[in-house]
Amino acid sequence: MVGFRNSHPLVCFIYFVFVLGFSMLVMNPISLGISLMCGFLYSLMLGGKASVRKNLIFVIPLMFFTAVLNPLFNHRGVTILWYFPGGNPLTAESIIFGAVAAVMLASVIFWFSCFNRIFTSDKLMYLFGKVSPALSLILSMTLRFVPRFSGQIKKIITAQRCIGKDQRCGKVTERIKNGGAVLSAMTSWALEGSVITADSMKARGYGLSGRTAFSPFRFTARDFKFLLVIVLLGTYTALGATLGELRFWYFPSFGGKAPTGFSISVYAAYFILCGLPLIIDLWEVRRWNSLRSKI
Amino acid sequence: MELIKVEDLNFTYPGGNTAALAEINISINSGEFVTVCGQSGCGKTTLLRLLKPALSPVGELCGGIYFGGKSLADIDARGQAADIGFVMQNPETQIVCDKVWHELAFGAENLGLPNSEIRARVAEMAAFFGIEEWFRSKTCDLSGGQKQLLNLASVMVMQPSVLILDEPTSQLDPIAAREFLETLKRLNLELGTTIIISEHRLEEVVPLSDRIVVLDEGRIICNGCPQEVVRQLTDIGHIMAKALPVPMRVFSALERSGEVPLTVRDGRLWMERFVQSNPIFPERIPKVQPLRKGDVAVTVKDAWFRYGRELPDILRGLNLEVFKGEIFALMGGNGAGKSTVLSLISGVNTPYSGKILINGVPLKKIPKLYDGVLGVLPQSPECLFVKNTVRLDLEDMIQGKDGEKEIEDISRLCRIQGLLDRHPSDLSGGERQRAALAKVLLKKPERLLLDEPTKGMDSNFKDEFAEILRSLTADGVTILLVSHDIEFCAKYADRCALMFDGEIISVARPREFFAGKSFYTTSANRMARSQVPAAVLAEDIILACGGKEKKL
Repeated sequence: MVGFRNSHPLVCFIYFVFVLGFSMLVMNPISLGISLMCGFLYSLMLGGKASVRKNLIFVIPLMFFTAVLNPLFNHRGVTILWYFPGGNPLTAESIIFGAVAAVMLASVIFWFSCFNRIFTSDKLMYLFGKVSPALSLILSMTLRFVPRFSGQIKKIITAQRCIGKDQRCGKVTERIKNGGAVLSAMTSWALEGSVITADSMKARGYGLSGRTAFSPFRFTARDFKFLLVIVLLGTYTALGATLGELRFWYFPSFGGKAPTGFSISVYAAYFILCGLPLIIDLWEVRRWNSLRSKI
Repeated sequence: MELIKVEDLNFTYPGGNTAALAEINISINSGEFVTVCGQSGCGKTTLLRLLKPALSPVGELCGGIYFGGKSLADIDARGQAADIGFVMQNPETQIVCDKVWHELAFGAENLGLPNSEIRARVAEMAAFFGIEEWFRSKTCDLSGGQKQLLNLASVMVMQPSVLILDEPTSQLDPIAAREFLETLKRLNLELGTTIIISEHRLEEVVPLSDRIVVLDEGRIICNGCPQEVVRQLTDIGHIMAKALPVPMRVFSALERSGEVPLTVRDGRLWMERFVQSNPIFPERIPKVQPLRKGDVAVTVKDAWFRYGRELPDILRGLNLEVFKGEIFALMGGNGAGKSTVLSLISGVNTPYSGKILINGVPLKKIPKLYDGVLGVLPQSPECLFVKNTVRLDLEDMIQGKDGEKEIEDISRLCRIQGLLDRHPSDLSGGERQRAALAKVLLKKPERLLLDEPTKGMDSNFKDEFAEILRSLTADGVTILLVSHDIEFCAKYADRCALMFDGEIISVARPREFFAGKSFYTTSANRMARSQVPAAVLAEDIILACGGKEKKL
């Protein structure tokens, strides 16, 4: 199964720029609702129930706090529902604004969780490599170094413990001394290793002029089609938003621009944009099933 | 066609009194498979590095090195980067990138090749080395053998005409090492790549080689095809003759005419012919002495262990008894759980079922476990060193006044008197292992646990190391070692045990243990099984055939 997630990193990146941009910049309850729904469903599709559950544990309290805290501190608005003991008013507008802000936070979180799943280190590195090949190599070397470092530190700690040099128990001075010894051993390990790594790089011609950055990603016709659709839908939505078709206001009283044919088409375009990964994936699943049934 | 030529090469390290290499003359033809061997410190690495300008050591050099008819110094950086491939010892530190595909592409990226060309080369090499399956893996998730194959493949992506390898298999287990060397031979046969390799696993590499060059103290003492080199080495009675594969040693001790058997198969055929015309005396092989059972020093009773709740069982009801004062060798394939057993006995991990007893007392109830009860020498001995010299590291272990004396005694025992003022990272594999042992021994442990102690050691270092272990057991120290090294265990262990699938399958004295196996046994046993079933060591075959090995 290919799916949207395996498209060219550039396509995925532009897609997320659009969706995250609209979700963060357009405070419109309808567009945010669309964004939250699609973001939620797509993260469910990518990560399964377990990962969504993990996100929800974090998202629900956060939404609750935003929705409750906003009316506590924001007293603008004309529809007064109640007065706090301190004399400040509780307004319907601030409640609505809080709720919409909560939806925005949640949708951004879900879209970011999708982003994290899709943008593995090699895709990020590819995008960085476009900017500077040296930067992507540094990123790659760092990603290689971190797990090695933590593995080695575990080995040293175990080895030291087994000769009675434990930094976890004993007198405080002893512990500090033993911990320091582990760190100093780590330093010499890292330095010694880097000499060999540098040799290995030099032996393979690192430092010659005109280094290129290889990537295993290819820009296919399929990627081109997706990119075209994304850019068209995205620009159309952006056009609608800049022309004020998605305008919505909360203070002093809330309200939105009356729906017109144009604004409805903008909502539709945004809806298709947000749902695009879902549509592509589901369509491919269907096609796969129908192909399989023919075998 | 001559590819590499070294003429009257002399090399001295800065501040060195003696030449690291002297009067080296070699000519290597393209497509040759050349093995460079010699004891640790004989100048192998220096010679190999001088052939690769990017890695050449600094020092005073005279003489000429020519590559493809041109002086090596005149070849530009781009040419030598692509044309001369170099693979080093440590699989781990040579890898630069985090993903396998990126590592493969690294060299080609440096050459500035276009994306499509890199893609084609990487695909080709991944297919040749069978890397497709882990092509998109992270490099840190690979096994040691896979890492070294990746290092080889990522050099081959640059399409070198000569490949130089400096002890590439010393950190690998025997199975991974064999696979690596077979891949090398395939490169040599199928792509015609010239190969220059330094190795101490002669058993595997000699049959593959077209030529063997033996170095001693920076000079070439033998240079020729395996047949000639075996003869020369035995004739001059050089210590390297002891490191030769068993069939060759047996042959040169018993017969001096005809073709030298290089492999076990040749050895078997030779044995068949030999017994037809000569009497054999199997009764001369020393009988198995019954083990004098002392107290039980370590007991593992029905231990079950797994690394995580969801992970499979590593140990499945393991039972083990180690007697006081013996050398007990635990053997078995990769992932059989050998090192896990050590981690349970040393208290690093705890079994979820079963018991570990030290002199009959549960492990948890021993207050100062690491103060004289147990000593552990880990698989990577460098983990033990935390100071700038070996001496400081040893002093770190001692409180009290008579430290000097103790350090002196231990360094004499472990034969590291000359190394005390060196930095631990500057020691060779065998030296480091002995220095680490010294550090562990300063706690005067009654039980010593060793994890793969002979890894990366050449044969002379192994013998020395075994002598140290013997002198320890004579003082009543119990040694439990985990090893892949069948020959070492056969020679020096008091008892051997084979682990498989989380259990111990068989335990016996080495002679009984190996004489009863058909595959997991020493090459001497495999070679002479039909004629002298009790033979386990090369010395056994020689004795049984009525010969005597030259004392070296």
